[in-house]
Amino acid sequence: MATRSDSGIVESDIDIWDDAVTVDPFPAYTELREKASVVYLPKNDVYVLTRYDVIRDALGDPETYSSTSLGFNPMVNEALQGTSLASDPPLHTQLRATLTQNLTPRALRGLKVTIDEKADQLVAELAATGSFEAIDALARAFPLEVVSDLIGFTGPVKENMLRWGQAAMQVIGPMNRRTQENFPIAGELYGWCSSVTAEDLTPGSIGRGIFDAEARGAIPEGSAGHIIHQYLGAGVDSTIAAIGNIVALFGRHPEQLALVRQNPDLVPAAFAEVLRFWPPLHIWGRTTTREVEIDGVIVPKGVQIGILFGAGNHDPRHYENPDEFDVTRNPTDHLSFGYGPHGCAGQGLARLEGHAIIAALAHQVKSMEIAEPVRVPTNITRSIEELRVVKVVAA
Amino acid sequence: MSLRIELDRSRCEGHGLCEEAAPHLMHLDDDGELVIDIPEVEGADVEAAKAAVRVCPVAALKLVSS
Repeated sequence: MATRSDSGIVESDIDIWDDAVTVDPFPAYTELREKASVVYLPKNDVYVLTRYDVIRDALGDPETYSSTSLGFNPMVNEALQGTSLASDPPLHTQLRATLTQNLTPRALRGLKVTIDEKADQLVAELAATGSFEAIDALARAFPLEVVSDLIGFTGPVKENMLRWGQAAMQVIGPMNRRTQENFPIAGELYGWCSSVTAEDLTPGSIGRGIFDAEARGAIPEGSAGHIIHQYLGAGVDSTIAAIGNIVALFGRHPEQLALVRQNPDLVPAAFAEVLRFWPPLHIWGRTTTREVEIDGVIVPKGVQIGILFGAGNHDPRHYENPDEFDVTRNPTDHLSFGYGPHGCAGQGLARLEGHAIIAALAHQVKSMEIAEPVRVPTNITRSIEELRVVKVVAA
Repeated sequence: MSLRIELDRSRCEGHGLCEEAAPHLMHLDDDGELVIDIPEVEGADVEAAKAAVRVCPVAALKLVSS
């Protein structure tokens, strides 16, 4: 096998899971992206993809970039075997269809009005208080309520959902302290999903419907619990991050909130820009199924790839003034939902929630001032831990 | 040269971003299923078709030579 120096691969001594890097990864993204499209990080034993075109091509090519190593430690990849997340076509195609049946925009259409009303009411209540903490009261409260209604659970499960959702993402990282501490918590979620039955879920909910589908034989036996596991594992923490980012970015850029207030048709474009600007996920894995040439350098077969969504989303080769937050940009091809066969299965629901929150802010909030967002180091999800809206003026 | 818009229906999940990019070429019907109204495109429509193919989040659309 050729050594890395023979193959022309550029290296960097950046540790992509260093505490300071995960809190603010953008300087590292810029440095890596300016070095090359693919950079080897010896500290992590990961080849990171840094530029927009290379990332999009990799996401669209599951034959070369397998999802069997989407996580960065063998335990999590082992645990995810048999899910659509970690499988390749053709198996993936069937698993994905089962997973997304209830999540496609056409399946969710009936929920739009309820979600919009809930968001508007919640934001109106918060705006009336004059000041509030946006992460617990909005970014966490809203998706937890939407997802618990959707799946149909109540009580103690709902109480656990925040820590379970956070842990499910943390354990996708390398085997560092954060991953080790979170494995037992992720295990609680897995245990609950393995034992939950139709009777535990509210009649008429989508979760109950998934169990009914299993009872009818429409989906394979035993798959209902796995599907619910993926809804909760993937859909909670990432949406919380996106909603926290909405409040922080509009708090920081009042002129952009004013633009959406003047023209509510900008809501979808504004959400796409929030996702482009600060992707909820820091890094996601693949492994190469063959030796592959990336921008003139050879990456060996069987290595761990790390996709840096935020590096691609801020690539000046693709977006003009990428470090400017601009709600009129409408970057519908941003990378934050991934792309292609493994593109985020919950993006229809995420859009419903994100659009509802932005529309509610535009409708209910005249202006707001925020304190500096507080972030803590994490492996995969990059979310705000605390965000004080120190002054809000209701519309 | 004329090009044809091809839809891989097994991949399409009805996100509807293609309709926003090229509303005169395709639309989601009342059941949320994508209908390609003008599959053969040429001239000015080619750019709109390319944009629709590009924004599909699950890569269900392709533009091929017909």
